Amino acid sequence: MAVTSKKRVWLFSATAAGRRHIYAYLSILPALLVLILFTVYPVLYNLNLAFHKNVLTAPGQHPFVGMRNFTELAKNPGLLRSFQTTAEFTVVTVLFTIGLGILIALLLNEQFFGAKALQVIILIPWAIPVVMAGIIWRWMFAGNVGVVNGLLYSLGFIDKYYSFFGNPVTAKAALVIARVWKDVPLAAILLLATLQVIPPELYDAAKIDGCGAWAAFRFITFPFLRPTLTVLLILQTLIGLITFDLVYVMTGGGPADATTLVAWYTYTEIFTHLNLGRGAALAFIVALITLVLAVFYFMALRSEEMYA
Amino acid sequence: MAAKATVRSLLGQEKHGAKRRVLLRRLFLYGVSLVLAFWLIGPVLWIVDASFQLDNELFSIPPHWIPHNPTLDNYIYVITRVPPPAYDFKPGEVRMGHKASGEALAAIPALKNSFIVSTATMALNVVISVLAAYAFSRLKFRGRGLAFNFVMFTRLIPPIAVAIPFFVIIDRLGLLDTYLALILVYLAFTLPFTIWFMTKYFDFMPPDLEDAALVDGCTRLQCLLKVVVPVVAPGIAATGAFAFMNAYSEFLFAVFLTKTMAAKTVPVVLTAAAINYDVSYALASTAVVLAIVPPILFALVFRNYITSSLSMAFGK
Repeated sequence: MAVTSKKRVWLFSATAAGRRHIYAYLSILPALLVLILFTVYPVLYNLNLAFHKNVLTAPGQHPFVGMRNFTELAKNPGLLRSFQTTAEFTVVTVLFTIGLGILIALLLNEQFFGAKALQVIILIPWAIPVVMAGIIWRWMFAGNVGVVNGLLYSLGFIDKYYSFFGNPVTAKAALVIARVWKDVPLAAILLLATLQVIPPELYDAAKIDGCGAWAAFRFITFPFLRPTLTVLLILQTLIGLITFDLVYVMTGGGPADATTLVAWYTYTEIFTHLNLGRGAALAFIVALITLVLAVFYFMALRSEEMYA
Repeated sequence: MAAKATVRSLLGQEKHGAKRRVLLRRLFLYGVSLVLAFWLIGPVLWIVDASFQLDNELFSIPPHWIPHNPTLDNYIYVITRVPPPAYDFKPGEVRMGHKASGEALAAIPALKNSFIVSTATMALNVVISVLAAYAFSRLKFRGRGLAFNFVMFTRLIPPIAVAIPFFVIIDRLGLLDTYLALILVYLAFTLPFTIWFMTKYFDFMPPDLEDAALVDGCTRLQCLLKVVVPVVAPGIAATGAFAFMNAYSEFLFAVFLTKTMAAKTVPVVLTAAAINYDVSYALASTAVVLAIVPPILFALVFRNYITSSLSMAFGK
């Protein structure tokens, strides 16, 4: 009892601690309000929706259906394929973004005239909004005005324009190229920032000890890069799960369902089949996967920091 | 080994070899850089190139890398929305170059909408996140860890997962097809990152300055506004740039929370143009160029703030 009254006292008192608390709560209040309205409430609403039947073509009837939305999804081969496509897409984009990111960061870290210019140029794909990057690449690969076709034609590799979006493999490749083009700059910039804090004496010492370039990279550069690499791995995996806009502008999920990533699948479930219940159930599953992955990665990052 | 090197340097071969190696290394670096630069800005250069051609020229095979008939007509048409002579319809004549394209022509009003929404998001985001981050970084209060973790946790919610509820909330608030709807949603999606970033930024600042101001009798808020904000201005600039660019780029919510040109933003309008097979590529390319110029300029102007702040947050 005494403790509670004491708590009350500090909240409303004119003491320094009381004022500090009031100031602190008022400071974070606007942020919390926005986030509660637009995250906590939506997530709960979504969960409720997922356990009810709600198809827009049959309005007014929303019976509780338990797990049926989920079991229907589990039986759906299209969804399983979209998860598979998403996994493929994510692995490939992660590998390319991080691999190229390291190479570019190493290049930009060299002292030569071009490095400065490249550090400016590399910001351009980063600054261009994803949708517009998608539009540009869609037209680059287009079968009628596509400049990739134009280039291949001019160089004599093809004798008539090829429909890149008509073939599952090249359509996927186009999507990956656009995603990597858009994401590599941030990876390179972050890795470069990390490279620049490595003390150069370490390399001098390694040289004296007779280390080759690869050994220096393996035992000096890489350990320094590891925490940043983990962050990039998290970011890039989550990007794989939420990539929607690129699919929307570039392929529309096709040909057939070759580029139907899970975010796009959810979108079509909601907006073309108008099945809100099933869409919500799917959204819940995607959110859960994201959460599990994030927790897993954060644990990895935590142990990373302990080693550092 | 050492003896050999001495002999070689005595014979003057060492110097020659080293020079050649430096030269080869230079050549290699320049070569790789050139390929990289081509990949990074080639697509942008092509879209700029295309915006100076008419459709009849764009469809030529192989493409004209340097326009044979460079023209500003596309820009004139998109900006003034009055068709220049090249786009005039001449009866009986069939030629490309006068396809109408409503979506591309809506680029300027859409840009206006995008600017209003992004600027408002940026301003609100900076105020809210600086206030919150300062409290998280400097003040000890009950529930601090919990509140901070909650903010970080909200970052993990994939946008598509809350698409339906967002629509319902915005509809119930009577805000469908308004700027305010987009501003609120974008605030919710940018705040977690900017609060995290600013908290980290404040953590790097030594508290001595403020302590002095506090001793002089400033309140926390006065101290934040007068002493701290000027010092963390680069971080605030980066935060603002991040919020602006995120709001400017967002597509998913823009596409289903807006219906008319009262609130449609650039990504919505341009996407409609892009997926339309009958679009005028010339006009649409022009619209894309106009749409990507502001964020590119923004990034180049704030380049130093963005990279130095990122280095601070990641380089430690």
